[in-house]
Amino acid sequence: MLRLTDINRRLGDFALTDINLEISDGQYYVLLGRSGAGKTQLLELIAGLEHPDTGRILLDNEDITRKRIQDRKVGIVFQDFAVFPHMNVFGNIAYPLRVRKEKKNTIAEKVEKAAIAMNIEHILDRSTEKLSGGELQRVALARTLITSPRLLLLDEPLSSLDTSLKDDLKRVLRSLNKSGQTIIHVTHDYGDAISLAKRVGVIHNGKIIQEGSVSEVFNNPVNRFVARYAGIRNFFRINISHENGLLLGVTEHNNRFKLESKTSESDSLLLLRSDSVFIGNEIPSDTELNAFRGKITEIIPSEFGLVVTVDAGDLFYVNTYLSEIERMGIAEGKDIWVSFSPKDIVVINGN
Amino acid sequence: MSSLVLLFIIAPLAGMFLHIGGAQFLETIKDKEVHQSIWLTLWVSFTATLIFSIGAIPFAWLLAREKFPAKNFVQGIIDLPIVLPHTAAGIALLGFISRDGFLGKTASLFGLNLVNHPSGIALAMAFVSLPFLINAARDGFAAVPERLEKAALNLGASYTKVFFTISLPLALRSITTGFVMMFARGMSEFGAVVIIAYHPMVAPVLIYERFSSYGLTYARPAAVLFILVALFFLISLRLLSLKRKEKYVNSDAQTD
Repeated sequence: MLRLTDINRRLGDFALTDINLEISDGQYYVLLGRSGAGKTQLLELIAGLEHPDTGRILLDNEDITRKRIQDRKVGIVFQDFAVFPHMNVFGNIAYPLRVRKEKKNTIAEKVEKAAIAMNIEHILDRSTEKLSGGELQRVALARTLITSPRLLLLDEPLSSLDTSLKDDLKRVLRSLNKSGQTIIHVTHDYGDAISLAKRVGVIHNGKIIQEGSVSEVFNNPVNRFVARYAGIRNFFRINISHENGLLLGVTEHNNRFKLESKTSESDSLLLLRSDSVFIGNEIPSDTELNAFRGKITEIIPSEFGLVVTVDAGDLFYVNTYLSEIERMGIAEGKDIWVSFSPKDIVVINGN
Repeated sequence: MSSLVLLFIIAPLAGMFLHIGGAQFLETIKDKEVHQSIWLTLWVSFTATLIFSIGAIPFAWLLAREKFPAKNFVQGIIDLPIVLPHTAAGIALLGFISRDGFLGKTASLFGLNLVNHPSGIALAMAFVSLPFLINAARDGFAAVPERLEKAALNLGASYTKVFFTISLPLALRSITTGFVMMFARGMSEFGAVVIIAYHPMVAPVLIYERFSSYGLTYARPAAVLFILVALFFLISLRLLSLKRKEKYVNSDAQTD
């Protein structure tokens, strides 16, 4: 188990502040944050390339805060792979074994095995000069994995790959994790986080602002920033009001959202997933639902279908499919109803 | 303009080559004293460069990588021999290696007299030419991505291992260039060497001696011969390092 306690590290204008983190064995932990949020710095602290100003790093109850990089057994794969240009693929993968002075036969065997696992056994005697990004990454991964690291740290491993290679690598990472490898994966892409993580930590300005399982974090984002990461585009600043025994959230444009009664008075930001909002030509019969009439301002294709933007005073973003649009016969400029259940509304303290 | 500058470098050399007669030149080639002095110059300079690289190359790595107090000051000291008048450097060094000096005393304990001895010449050559190696090697190390060194550490290599397997091979091109520069600079040194050791005579001293005792015509063939031999070694070393360069230019592109 990896445990970081009260880690602080100042680097010029930027600082990692009060980082507390616990990552159990076999975990797939995704650290999510924008570039400059401190993700890479945190990885480098764990790997020992940098040292914290204060705080402790424990690995399996051993204090490794000041332990030398080469003795930590924490493998890191850099975003730029850091493949050695003066060695061929075999030389790169064999490097950790050679510096440990393992026997030639053992090295050859282990390298072969690692290469097969990464599907690069056919390029072992090639120079690294003409390898693709995907191949370089596999070389870097094989080279790190051959050391049997207690922790595998990955810095944006998917960012430089195209879609098909991304899926390949995700498969590799998943099966690695399944075989027991603890992985800490740093990324700015919440799609990666959702598809790989067991646990997610969101880091912003050097602080971990939310942590939990994927569904905990993305269904209950603590603030607008995390919500954006969760792909939520519907944000409404509201004032809570009580009318006729109902709890309402009133937006700046005077739309009244019916809320669930558990909502707290101090909450002031309302979030709604685009998947939870529905459109229709008729007002829905269920009066429990929130329904508003507005004009379609835009229909644009998205990754999984279409996003319809409806202006009902406030802007609503709705995920839908082409078949739905055609069935309802709707187009930009037309009026339409948007509806959603109070249960799907997330209300948070927006300050 | 630029061709004028080039001409300015070439003309005196070419003039010297044209001024020597074949018979006279042949005689110089056969001259044992000339042989000995050119040979002495070559091997002493080469040995000095080789021995001092052992300390200078790791030192250059330190300058490229580590932050330490007064680093700029240290850098300034390293460059000092370049700006000193070389006779002044020779005088300073003489005080150090003569029997009253610290190094001289130590050496005489082992029955070695550094003054008028090849080892003294080597010290004089190294003193004035060391900055060329250190600076080139430092630039070479600085150009090696630090990431690669950190990756190697992360893979379990010790600092020494990282130095020999990553930093040194990747900076080798610059180091070789620096090595050649130091060797060449040491070979051509006159000012500092003549103060430490008039005898045994290195080639620049021999040329000067022939000039001051017998005049221009007598000094010229020795000068030409020395230039030819020096050029031969320089060009071959240059070619060697160029071959390396090709190899590393390609791999450098990969890391960018």
